[in-house]
Amino acid sequence: MPLKQEVPWYKLAVIYQAHVRTFYDSNGDGVGDFQGLDQKLDYLKELGIDTIWLMPFFPSPLRDDGYDISDYYSVHSSYGTLEDFRTFLKSAHARQIRVIIEMVLNHTSDQHPWFQQSRSSQDNPRRDWYVWSDTDTGYSQTRIIFLDTELSNWAWDPISKSYYWHRFFSHQPDLNYDNPAVREEMWNVMKFWLEIGVDAFRLDAVPYLVEREGTNCENLPETHGILKELRRKLDEQFPGKMLLAEANQWPVDLRPYFGDGDEFHMAFHFPLMPRMFMGVKLEDRKPITEILQQTPEIPPSCQWCLFLRNHDELTLEMLTTVERSYMNDTYARDMDMRLNLGIRRRLAPLLDNDRRRIELMHGILMSLPGTPNIYYGDEIGMGDNIKLGDRNGVRTPMQWSGGWNGGFSAAEPEKLYAPLIQDPVYGYPAVNVVSQKKTEHSLLNWIARIIAVRKTTSVFGAGSIEFLYPANHRILAYVRHLENETILVVNNLSNAAQAVELDLRRYKGNILIEMFGKNIFPRVGDLPYLLTLGPYQFYWFRLRRI
Amino acid sequence: MAEVKSAEESVLTDDFLRQLINVGEVDILVGVPTHNNAKTIGAIAETIQAGILTFFPRERAAIINVDGGSRDGTPELVASAAIDDARPNSKMYTLRTFHSISTQYASSPARGIALHTIMAAAELLRAKACAVISPESTQITTDWLATLLRPVYREEFDLVLPTYSRHRFDGILLTNLLYPMTRALYGLKIREPYALDYAFSGRLGSQFLTQNAWHEETAQAGSETQLTLAAIAGEYRICQSFLGTKEHAERHTADLVPAMRQTVGALFSSLETNFSLWNARTGSQPIPTTGDERKFSLEPLRINRKRLREMFSTGVAELESIFQSILSPATLVELQGIARTENVPFRYSAELWVKTVYEFAAAYHKSVISRDHIIQALAPLFRGRALTFLAENINGSADDVENNIESLCLEFERTKPYLLEIWKQ
Repeated sequence: MPLKQEVPWYKLAVIYQAHVRTFYDSNGDGVGDFQGLDQKLDYLKELGIDTIWLMPFFPSPLRDDGYDISDYYSVHSSYGTLEDFRTFLKSAHARQIRVIIEMVLNHTSDQHPWFQQSRSSQDNPRRDWYVWSDTDTGYSQTRIIFLDTELSNWAWDPISKSYYWHRFFSHQPDLNYDNPAVREEMWNVMKFWLEIGVDAFRLDAVPYLVEREGTNCENLPETHGILKELRRKLDEQFPGKMLLAEANQWPVDLRPYFGDGDEFHMAFHFPLMPRMFMGVKLEDRKPITEILQQTPEIPPSCQWCLFLRNHDELTLEMLTTVERSYMNDTYARDMDMRLNLGIRRRLAPLLDNDRRRIELMHGILMSLPGTPNIYYGDEIGMGDNIKLGDRNGVRTPMQWSGGWNGGFSAAEPEKLYAPLIQDPVYGYPAVNVVSQKKTEHSLLNWIARIIAVRKTTSVFGAGSIEFLYPANHRILAYVRHLENETILVVNNLSNAAQAVELDLRRYKGNILIEMFGKNIFPRVGDLPYLLTLGPYQFYWFRLRRI
Repeated sequence: MAEVKSAEESVLTDDFLRQLINVGEVDILVGVPTHNNAKTIGAIAETIQAGILTFFPRERAAIINVDGGSRDGTPELVASAAIDDARPNSKMYTLRTFHSISTQYASSPARGIALHTIMAAAELLRAKACAVISPESTQITTDWLATLLRPVYREEFDLVLPTYSRHRFDGILLTNLLYPMTRALYGLKIREPYALDYAFSGRLGSQFLTQNAWHEETAQAGSETQLTLAAIAGEYRICQSFLGTKEHAERHTADLVPAMRQTVGALFSSLETNFSLWNARTGSQPIPTTGDERKFSLEPLRINRKRLREMFSTGVAELESIFQSILSPATLVELQGIARTENVPFRYSAELWVKTVYEFAAAYHKSVISRDHIIQALAPLFRGRALTFLAENINGSADDVENNIESLCLEFERTKPYLLEIWKQ
């Protein structure tokens, strides 16, 4: 594809996270599919999306929404065929839209033939593809991730009469990456999809690939070694493709996943996300600036992936106890909203459906260093259903219209893979794409607008950042800079109008041009630059010396 | 029509206002009036900071230092308690930014202006609860912040006054005049009506702020007492919280008159504006009290009783003409009789003391001479009463001391009709 090459494409991208199952059902069976997704590519293109990240679509018993894969070389029959995927990919590329697919390296489903063979006998050639033990006492320093459902990282297998290791659900046995055959096979899987044409992988749960006694079995050097080897092969055989890490870790532990620019191209910045919510609730920039102060520099070719919400619970793992308690008390008063160490809610309900806060959060998401990721449905302010189990409450069908099944499917409603959101505030009659398209100032049109403004410059994706620290702590202000372009971002995290004085002396002589309306603001002089901002208002100013 | 003040008239300087804009709305404010307190203020500010972060970790809070022209770096020490992202080296973890700001109002201290400034800041920042901590409260612990602020912030009290465990001979002015007279007149058993460490609600602060009393000399002198009386007059919810032991402070004899101006002067002055309130009240009621039980400590204390007696006798002799303007002939004769006695034990009875104080209050009301002179003239008589109090309690237990004070209080209550009688003459 003839895309801009000066800056790596993933730095300038705007990613849209979608699940085939949830997006659009083309054949009326109640489940979204690749043909349906294909039909909605123009919608995404119009929104300004240039990269789609697809959740797992492989054959699976679907006990963890596809993260329990039973065949890495095919497509789940509910979503279509491999050929449907190829067609979709071609359509996406024709629209200059790249595709990131999910790759679950750490574990398989217990229904995967590899595991079935592995458990069948101690002598099976695939026995050593998983991590087996006669006892359940090994790796005792390892934390349990799914605290609400799992008591141990070991599970008893009655067939082979031994324990197997699993970091997630017990039906998801971990692969044994000490086995060269496993490493080779997983590269073969990736190669298979790269040859079909996918542009990138989001590698799931990467910190947990290798286990070592006496450690917490996370972020081990051996794990980094395996990831570097995958990257080396990727660069050699498929230049221009990208690896995105899912590693829910502190910044200092995340940094090694970039290596010297020879491991991951991108990684999600997990600790930043909850602190953005904290900052807005506290009306204080401190949580945001502090975590970014603690975030190490990354190699020039690398990039953070930023997000507000995704398909999982809003994870609170990377918070202190005090912070976690604050987040739960302020964002998840109803215990049904809590799951594991997180909050299973969508963006709009989290922000009380407050349009100003939703806009502010997107303004920050789009202007901090990194590539923004938008979770499907958040662009129209979809709600959630906390009464659905696990994380299914944030994985309900996309709301395309106010009509039959919200325009998602022609199936009988009871056949839908999950019920639509139907409450009066967030239900599909009130919140849907068709009606928002018709309304000039709808959230959908606003999101398209901010994406368009972001794309007028490479600064947001590739520029440096310098925080200003105005004495008014409710104001989060920073300067983004790339080559001869400078942008000033000022965010009011408060529910009330604020006055702020910014020290812009080093930009003396510049005039400020507000990037949305393109109006000019007074020239910067020697005195502190006084700005007033309405509740939750933000400004993006281009600094120009004319 | 409300008075409109120009910037020049405001207690808030433009620079301070700028700082307040940066602080923004707060839940809790702690005001610290200072003047050359560099030796103690750093530790006090740190304790305040730690107390807020411990007991109110989620609340928006700030310290506001109002300084009377320190030249020893006091404001800078208070300001160093701030925690923000521009200086991420604090030892304390905070959920949010913690502001500690300072303003100077003059080159010499004036507690009234300091309190006025703190209240103005509290109103502008819409503080729900505001504590004031004295820069001399070196015994402060982090618990103080919870003890003072919780009743306001969580239980909707409007004024929280402290109680302390004191040495039995500490605060004799308090135990022999301020407490019993306030109690008798206003009907509430407030142990520390003249407090230097206390907390008030935003609504009480706002109401007090609007009282146009800030320019009056007496209000400048006794603003804390005025606040207590305003709370009583406005029927705000008042409680007392135990803060611990009040260390005995060495006082010079020269400190007494300024202290009396601040406290007794304010109390006498309050009778003018609150006549309808105290005129109607009889007896006294307890107020809610939290915390450990207050008790007197009994360690031996060296007191120069001979010097006290001399100062009393000399005062009675030298100020006779002034006393003739203030006191009734009978009271003056009795006092002169006590002053003349040499070979019998000195005794300035509770009955005579109460009568004396009430006659001084009435004289103050009528301004028979300069009000400041009236307060000064009371000082030697108070020394005589203090001498009697010392003598009566020198071998007493803590309960004995408490019982004696209670008797004095009841005497003040019993004699209140006499005050009303001479007040109207």
